[in-house]
Amino acid sequence: MSESTTAESNSSVLWVAKPLITAARQFGKSLLRPSTIVYPFERLEDPKFRGAVRIAPGKPIGVGQVWDNYRGVHALNIETCISCNLCAFSCPDLCIDMVTVPGGDPKHPKKCPQIDYGKCSYCGFCSDACPEGCLSMTTRYELSVSKRSDMIYSPQRLEEVFKAKLPMSPIRVERPKNEDAILLDPPLCIGCNACARDCPTKCITMVDLPKPVAKAGEKLPKRIWKEPVVNDSDCVRCGTCISVCPKECLFWGTHR
Amino acid sequence: MWINMGPQHPMTHGLWNLRVKIDGELVLDVDPEMGYLHRGIEKISEDRHYNEIITLMDRTCYVAGMAWEHLFIQAAEHALHIQVPERAQWIRTMSEEFQRVASHLMWYAAFVQDIGLMSPFLYGMRDRDLVLDLFQSYTGGRLTYEYMRVGGVRNDLPPGFTDQARKVCDWLSDRFVEYDRLCLGSDIFHRRCDNLGVLKASECIRYGITGPMLRSAGVARDLRKDRPYAAYGQVDFEVAVADGADVTGRYLVRMEELRQSLRILRQTLDWLDRNAGPVMAENVPRWMGAPYAPVGREGYLLKREYPKGVGFSAIEEPHGEALAYVVNEGGEHPYRVKLKSPVFVNIAAARQYLVGYRVADIPPIMGSVDVCVGEVDR
Amino acid sequence: MAPLSLYGVSNSLVSTLLLHLAAVLPAPLSTLLSNGDLILLLSVLVFCGTLLGASLLNTILLIWFERKMLGRFMDRRGAMHVGYAGLLQNFADGLKLFRKHTFRPQDADPLGFFSAPTAYMVASIVMFGILPVSTGWSAGTLPLSLLLALVVFSFAPLFIFLGAWSSANKYSLIGGMRSAAQMIAYEVPILLAVVAVVLLSGSFDLTTIVNEQRNYWFWGPLFLALIVFVAGMLAEMERIPFDLPEAEAELVEGWNTEFGGMLFAFFMLADYARALVGSYLIVLLFLGGWTLPSWVPAPLTNFPLAGIFWFQVKTYLVFGVFIWIRASLPRVRTDQLLRVGWMRMIPLSLLSIVLAALVVLAKCLPVFGCLPSMGS
Repeated sequence: MSESTTAESNSSVLWVAKPLITAARQFGKSLLRPSTIVYPFERLEDPKFRGAVRIAPGKPIGVGQVWDNYRGVHALNIETCISCNLCAFSCPDLCIDMVTVPGGDPKHPKKCPQIDYGKCSYCGFCSDACPEGCLSMTTRYELSVSKRSDMIYSPQRLEEVFKAKLPMSPIRVERPKNEDAILLDPPLCIGCNACARDCPTKCITMVDLPKPVAKAGEKLPKRIWKEPVVNDSDCVRCGTCISVCPKECLFWGTHR
Repeated sequence: MWINMGPQHPMTHGLWNLRVKIDGELVLDVDPEMGYLHRGIEKISEDRHYNEIITLMDRTCYVAGMAWEHLFIQAAEHALHIQVPERAQWIRTMSEEFQRVASHLMWYAAFVQDIGLMSPFLYGMRDRDLVLDLFQSYTGGRLTYEYMRVGGVRNDLPPGFTDQARKVCDWLSDRFVEYDRLCLGSDIFHRRCDNLGVLKASECIRYGITGPMLRSAGVARDLRKDRPYAAYGQVDFEVAVADGADVTGRYLVRMEELRQSLRILRQTLDWLDRNAGPVMAENVPRWMGAPYAPVGREGYLLKREYPKGVGFSAIEEPHGEALAYVVNEGGEHPYRVKLKSPVFVNIAAARQYLVGYRVADIPPIMGSVDVCVGEVDR
Repeated sequence: MAPLSLYGVSNSLVSTLLLHLAAVLPAPLSTLLSNGDLILLLSVLVFCGTLLGASLLNTILLIWFERKMLGRFMDRRGAMHVGYAGLLQNFADGLKLFRKHTFRPQDADPLGFFSAPTAYMVASIVMFGILPVSTGWSAGTLPLSLLLALVVFSFAPLFIFLGAWSSANKYSLIGGMRSAAQMIAYEVPILLAVVAVVLLSGSFDLTTIVNEQRNYWFWGPLFLALIVFVAGMLAEMERIPFDLPEAEAELVEGWNTEFGGMLFAFFMLADYARALVGSYLIVLLFLGGWTLPSWVPAPLTNFPLAGIFWFQVKTYLVFGVFIWIRASLPRVRTDQLLRVGWMRMIPLSLLSIVLAALVVLAKCLPVFGCLPSMGS
C-alpha cells in the first residue's frame, strides 16, 4: 500500500544534489580541521584545550570549568578526614565502606571511605555530604581495570588521586543554617560519655550536673552526674553520637 | 514467517523485541515485546530518600535524564508542599530545553542511521556533545546529572555560562539548516519516508499517543503550552505541528521543536542574566548527610517527618507526555511512585502503524517513534 | 624503450635464477632445473603471485582509503593508530580475524557455509588476472576479456545466495534474496551499457578498448552509458544507496550475518576486491584506462610505471566518488531499487546504445573530421 503512493507522488529522477554538496562542504571543512581529537595522545584536559575547548571546528566551547566540574574518581585527603561516616550514609548505592586506616588511636581507630567503583553511580552525594571537604570528585575518568577487585579503591588509593592534584569541582554545596540539630532527652541520659568520646569533631562536652539530694524513700537513678552539650556550630550532624548512645536519649530535632 | 527483531537488533535502539510476521518483504503482523530492561525503578524508589531517587530518574531515560529529574522532582515538591524559588524554576526550564535539544539530536542521529544515512549520524552526535559539555560545566555530569533537588537545584550556573550557551545555540541553529539539506533535500529521503507509518490523529488519540507523533498528525497538543509548568508560562514559543502523520511529518515536527527550543533557550538565558536569586528553597533539608541508614544500622536515626500528601506532575518530555504520581505517607521515603512513559504507549500501538509496510520500512518508522527503552521498561 | 611486461620480467628472472643454479649444481639436478617446462611453470607462478599480492595489497589500501575518506566526510579522522595515519590498521584487523575461531551455526549446511566465502573470494580475485591494469601487466591478450570479466563478475550473487541460504538464518535468507534480485536486475543494464562501449571501440578486448581511447575518452560520447554503468556498479558492489542486502538497520548484516572470523574476512576482502574491480572497469571502459590526454606534458607520462600510476589515480578518484555518495545518501528500498533497475536503467542503457551507434555513424561521415576514424 505504501510503495505505490510513494513512487507516484515523487516520480522525478533521483534528485540528490543538495545532500551531496552539503556532505562535500563538510568534507572540506573536516579535511582542514576534524572535530575529533586523537584521544590517548591528545586529551581534553590538556592545557591547550583549557579555557576554550574546541569541539566543533572553529567554535570555542566550554566555560573553562568544563573539566573542573566533572564528577570522576574521588580524591580523599586522609589527614583531614574525621571519620564521620557521612559519605557512606549519603551513598545511594551503598558503595562506600568505612575501613580502618593506620595512624589512629588504637582504641578508636580512624576509619576512612573505601569506594567500590563497580557500584558507584558518580552522583556526587558523598562529596556534597562531606563536612570537611576532604572527599571530593576529580576529573579523572579512566577506570578500566582487568580485575573486578581492582575496582575497589582503598583510602590509600583515593589519597593517591588526591596527591595527583587533579582539578576538583569549584562548586561546593553549602550547608544550610537551619538544619536539624542533635537534641537530648535529659531524663534518659546516664552520663556515660560515649557520645563525647566518639564524636568525630569533639563538639560534645560533658558538663557536670548538680547531684540532687535524695529524698526519703526515693532512690536516685544510677548514673554519672554529667550531661552532653552539643556545640551546634561545630557539629557536622553525622549522628555518631546517636548511634553509640546506649540509652537512645539523643535524637534529631529542631531548637525551639 | 515470524522473525524476531530484537532484543538485540540495530533497529530497536535499546532492548526490546519486535516480532514481525513477514511474507517476503511485506509486514503482515507485528507484536512488540517489552520488559527486557525492567529495573524496578518505581519499587526501588519506595526505599529511597527523595533526593536519592534523582539518581534513578536520570537512568529512567538515559537520553533525557534532566526531563525525568524535573518530572519526579515536581511531583515530590507537590507532595511535600515545597515552593521553589523563581530562579531555580528558570534554570530547570533551561535545563529541560537543553535536554530536549540533546535528546532530539540523539534522535536525529539514530533516525538517519535507520534510513542508511551515515555521516549525519556523526554530525548529530557531534552537536549533541556541545550540549553535553554545557551540562557538564554546570552539573558535573554528561548523561546522568543528579542536578535537581527537592526545593530547587544543586548549584547556580557558573560565571560565563550564559555566553557559552548562546554560542552553542548559534552553532546549533546553523547546523539545523545543514541537517535539513541532508534529509529533506534528498529525493531518496522523501521516497523512503513520505506516507510511511501513517497514524491519523483519531487513531493517535484512541491509543493515547502523545508527543511528536501526535503533533505530526496535526494536533497542537503540548503540555508546555496547555498546562504550563516551571517557567514555560512566561516564555514565548510555538507548538510545532505538521500534517501528514507520517515519518516525514515526525521529522518536521522534531526539527521545528529544535528551533523552538533554541528560541526558548535564548529567552531563559536572557532572564537568567538579568535576575539573580536563590536557587534553593529555604525550608528544605538540603544537606544530603545521613538520609539513609545502611544495612545493619536500622533504627540508627529517627525519621524526619514530612507532611503527608499526594504529588502529581506532568511534563512534555522530548518523547511525549510523561506523568509522575508520588504518594507520601509521612516518612522520608515516598510510599508509592508511579511513572507514565510516553514511549511505552507509542510502542504499544506498533501494529497500527507498521502492518502493511515493508521490512525495510520498519527501522525508519520505529526510528521516527524515537524509542527510549529505559523509560519504557523503567 | 622495449615494452616491459610483468610476465616477461618474471620469466627472465626465473630463467636467470634457475640457469645460474643449474651451473652450480651437479648433473642430474642441473638438467632438471634447466628444463623449459619447469621454467615456464615457475615463471607463471611468480607472475601470478606478484599479481595476486599486488592486487590484494591494493584492495587493502582501498579499504584504508575508504575508512580515511569516510572519516573526513563524517567529521572524524578514521583509523589513526596502527602505522602512519592508520595505514597498517587493516592488516592488524586481518590478523585479529585470522586468529578468531571459525564457527558454524548448528543448523548451517557445512558444505555451502564454508564453500560460499571461498568461492566468492576466488570469483572476485580472478578478476584481477583478467583486467589489464597497464600495458604488459597481463599475461597475454584475451580477445574476449571484457566478456570474461563480466561473466566472472556476475558469479557473485550465486555464491552470496549459497552462503545466505546455507547459514540457516532468516535475516541471511532475506539478505541473500535481496542480493540475488538486485544483482540480476542490474546485470542487464550493465551489460547493455557495455554494449555501447563495444560498439564505439569495436572490440571485446579491454586492451584494445583502452587503446581506442587514446584520443578521446568514452565518457564524453557515452555519458548516459557511464551513468547507467556507475549506478549498476553501485548495486553490484552493494554500496549505499543500494546496500540493501546488508542493510544493517533491518537485516543486521544481511547475508553475512552468521559468518565470523576468517570467513567474514573473506567476504569483506572480496567485497572490496569487487569494489576495486568495479572501479577498474569504469576506468577501463570510460576514463581511458592508463592513457592520458595528449595535452598532458611528457614528464608526467614518461616515468617508469606511469601507466599503472595514472590508472590507480583514476581508480581511486572513481572510488572516491563512490565514497562521497555513500557518505551523503540514504538507502533506497528494495522495490524502489528494482523499479529503478528494470524501468529506468534498461531504457536508459538502450538509449545509450542508440547514441553510441549514432556516434559510430557520425565518425564514418566526413562532417566530424575531428574524430578519428575507426581502424577497420
